[in-house]
Amino acid sequence: MNENLKHRIKARILKALHLVALFIAMAIICVPGLWIVLNSFRPTVEIMAKPPVWIPSELNLDNYRAMFGAVGEGGVPVVQYFTNSLIISVTSTVIAILVGMAGGYAFARYRFKGKAGIFIGLMLTRAVPGVSLSLPLFIVMAKTGLIDTHVGLILVYVALNVPFTIWLIDGFFRQVPIELAEAAEIDGCTRWQAFWKVEFPVARAGIASAGIFAFLTSWNEYALASQLTRSTFSKTMPVGLRDFTSEFTINWGGMCALAVLMIIPALILTFIVQKHLIAGLTFGGVKG
Amino acid sequence: MSRLKPPAWFVLLLPAIIILAAVVLIPLLLSLYSSFTPYRLTRPDSLYRWIGFANYEKALTSIHFWTAFGRTVLLLTIALNLEMLMGLGLALLVNKVTWGQRTLRTIMMFPMMFSPILVGFQFKFIFNDNVGLVNNALQSLGLTDQAIPWLVDGKLAFFSILVAEMWSATSVFAILILAGLFAVPRDPIEAATVDGCTPWQTFRHITLPFIMPFIYIALAIRSLDVARAYDIVQIMTNGGPARRTELLWTLIGRTGYVDARMGYANAMGYISIFLAIFFTVYFFRKLNAARGELGMAS
Amino acid sequence: MAQVQLRSVVKKYGSLEVVHGIDLDIADNEFVVLVGPSGCGKSTTLRMIAGLEAISGGEIAIGERVVNDLPPRHRNISMVFQNYALYPHMTVRENLGFSLKIANRPQSEIDRAVEEAANILSLSDYMDRKPGALSGGQRQRVAMGRAIVRHPEVFLFDEPLSNLDAKLRTQMRTEIKKLHQKVQSTIVYVTHDQVEAMTLADRIVIMRDGHIEQVGTPLEVFENPVNTFVATFIGSPPMNLLPATITNGEVAIENGPSVALPSAFEGKVREGQAVILGFRADNLMPRGHSLPMEGQHAAFDMKVNLSEPLGTETLLFSSLAGREVQAKMLNPRPVSPGETLPFQLDLTRCHLFDAASEASLR
Ligand SMILES: Nc1ncnc2c1ncn2[C@@H]1O[C@H](COP(=O)(O)OP(=O)(O)O)[C@@H](O)[C@H]1O
Ligand SMILES: [Mg+2]
Repeated sequence: MNENLKHRIKARILKALHLVALFIAMAIICVPGLWIVLNSFRPTVEIMAKPPVWIPSELNLDNYRAMFGAVGEGGVPVVQYFTNSLIISVTSTVIAILVGMAGGYAFARYRFKGKAGIFIGLMLTRAVPGVSLSLPLFIVMAKTGLIDTHVGLILVYVALNVPFTIWLIDGFFRQVPIELAEAAEIDGCTRWQAFWKVEFPVARAGIASAGIFAFLTSWNEYALASQLTRSTFSKTMPVGLRDFTSEFTINWGGMCALAVLMIIPALILTFIVQKHLIAGLTFGGVKG
Repeated sequence: MSRLKPPAWFVLLLPAIIILAAVVLIPLLLSLYSSFTPYRLTRPDSLYRWIGFANYEKALTSIHFWTAFGRTVLLLTIALNLEMLMGLGLALLVNKVTWGQRTLRTIMMFPMMFSPILVGFQFKFIFNDNVGLVNNALQSLGLTDQAIPWLVDGKLAFFSILVAEMWSATSVFAILILAGLFAVPRDPIEAATVDGCTPWQTFRHITLPFIMPFIYIALAIRSLDVARAYDIVQIMTNGGPARRTELLWTLIGRTGYVDARMGYANAMGYISIFLAIFFTVYFFRKLNAARGELGMAS
Repeated sequence: MAQVQLRSVVKKYGSLEVVHGIDLDIADNEFVVLVGPSGCGKSTTLRMIAGLEAISGGEIAIGERVVNDLPPRHRNISMVFQNYALYPHMTVRENLGFSLKIANRPQSEIDRAVEEAANILSLSDYMDRKPGALSGGQRQRVAMGRAIVRHPEVFLFDEPLSNLDAKLRTQMRTEIKKLHQKVQSTIVYVTHDQVEAMTLADRIVIMRDGHIEQVGTPLEVFENPVNTFVATFIGSPPMNLLPATITNGEVAIENGPSVALPSAFEGKVREGQAVILGFRADNLMPRGHSLPMEGQHAAFDMKVNLSEPLGTETLLFSSLAGREVQAKMLNPRPVSPGETLPFQLDLTRCHLFDAASEASLR
């Protein structure tokens, strides 16, 4: 019985250690985000207080009010930034998904020479660092007059998202047995109908998750946007964050408020599809 | 009817090829060309003077360039390895949980939704020597009475950047590895326990080979956009103070936009592109090898 | 010396109890088969013995040692899984030698043990292939080989043959039986297939819904089922069961003929008791096509609805008292559907069960 007891105690200890480790890990993940949220509700005096104030004595919406307030008095054209971000992200995501579906379908269903090479080539375009690309892109955009326009940024984001989208969607179409489409064709569908009526619905969940990735990438992108946008007319939220910095100071409270505004849509979207998100990444990748 | 009909796969791939050519390939060709000129934004005519490999020579003999290059490789190597290990640890912790796992998984994805620039500001705030969370906490706990210059001292700033980068990317690894853990069949694991394996041996000999492809996918995906780290660094220190945290990307950005020396910046840009391509191709090859090992190759 | 003892072993998943306090004593070197319909808790029981599932109550001992909280590696057992559970990234050789390598045995010893196992199971030709390149039967043999290299005290098998086709299954069944004679270890074997149980077991344990219904040698459980569940589960085709009442000292089949009370049950039933009459197809045969029935027997006519010729005998499906009854015909001749034949029922081989408890009245 002694031996059993020893193992039982060991199992208990391991379980306790597991819980402690898990708690610490989750705390590290959560604290920075919560810190931002908390500070978006605190008055600047309290943020700057020395010694620090740990238990907030006052929480208010001042930072949000100021942000939506008049430009110049700490206000920032948030609504415009938000709209820009939304238009650019949604449009580029939709286009990227359409282009990615065509490309992914080609990789999943056709055999052709140089397939692996073309695939790697497409992927590598994504590996080009934003800064390195932004320099020549800036010149091209300036020449073609696309700088500081929605269209310009949309095009860039489509290109940014297409490789990864193709990779994921390729994986999803491979999951759909080809017999399914063949059966539909025997039942009298054209190839086109067979795709929309059979293959697309089956792969839809996966395609949606590819869409979320594309959206998040566009929504959060900064390196390119910061160079290709100039004015309120096309600046996106990540670029807008810089409005809170001046030469020597940063308006932390205001920035936290905008940050919260930026995270919320991403958060909602991710929660909706979180299950597909994981499946999406792994199917796309492993079963390659 | 002598016109040749292009094959379907080509038509389907055409939009992707066109857009990538327009947005990536053409600018890259342009930058390749300009990297052989002394092009400055302020002097457009300088675009037409051919100077051969002068820019590359300049970069390859510049101490600033090599320090930034070395620091970038160092940061990437440390960051990717630590993220992988911590992601693995986190995934194993969460995988062991029997209830509430959905919630934990959702929390785990939290940092993935944060824009890198936001991560930069967030940690710039947290590591702020005056009002930051870290110094506040250290001071309140009585561990120090000074304001530790997290973002000013070279080594500390490197560390702070590493922390920010890891916070933002560890969850990508954790999520992917967790998905890998879900896909590990139960049977071989049980067989191994019965065969006499300790939990560590089971992990080492059975679980790890199974999740290796997932680890490489995560590494490949991450290396595809390692340059996201640029956003973080640019906000936190922008390479400064006095080049103490200069990375390849911040050096390129500053040379191009602040000094307006586009030709030179593009030459260095090319070197950074090859660095990224090297990492990516390396991990893709590893991925294929690991898949072959498990007999999953396509 | 490795007897296995289960004392009031309980398994709960949350609040759901799936094994309800079972007791079982397995002797050293015994081949015991747990059999029962799917979902009855066989695998759970086996996995508790293996240490893959924690037990929620009771005690399990292997040898003289209580192993309740010991992890599998301290139990000196090995197990063959239903889906083989081979390590896909290792060759056959590595699969076989894995447990010894883990135990840090010297390479020469590992090689010898692997070689020996490969010979016993004729695996020598595939040693450097990976499991993905093997057929079902070969994988099955590797799984068994992996179990025997360690010379464990107890072998556990969880439906090891259920993924094989019928012919291979019969073949492997014989090999497992031979294996047991060679290795001389205690074996606990789980299956839902009663034929497998009958052919392999020294003793059969019949389970239902997390309870043990009966433990006995194959012949015991065939000849003397303790209740109607065991009676229908063991033997093929299943035992015919007809509701009846004891009337005037005879067994009156509901809406059918009366037959004499089998002498084995005299004094064990009371007048008016509701019972179930059970008999196997082998004991109901048409006159002229039956074994000689010297003892007590009954005779009645039945219409044959369907016949299935099996070669040496023909299986007849007839109706008696509105229920389907299966009978057998020796030295068969063609039977056309609808033909009425005179049947003889061997009463000495009949069973009576209480209608309410379904327990044998013997
Ligand atoms: N992990 C589990 N959680 C809840 N119920 C389970 C679990 N595993 C098995 N069960 C239930 O326990 C019962 C017995 O299962 P099992 O031992 O696998 O049956 P079998 O006799 O077919 O091998 C079944 O009803 C099954 O649904
Ligand atoms: Mg089972």
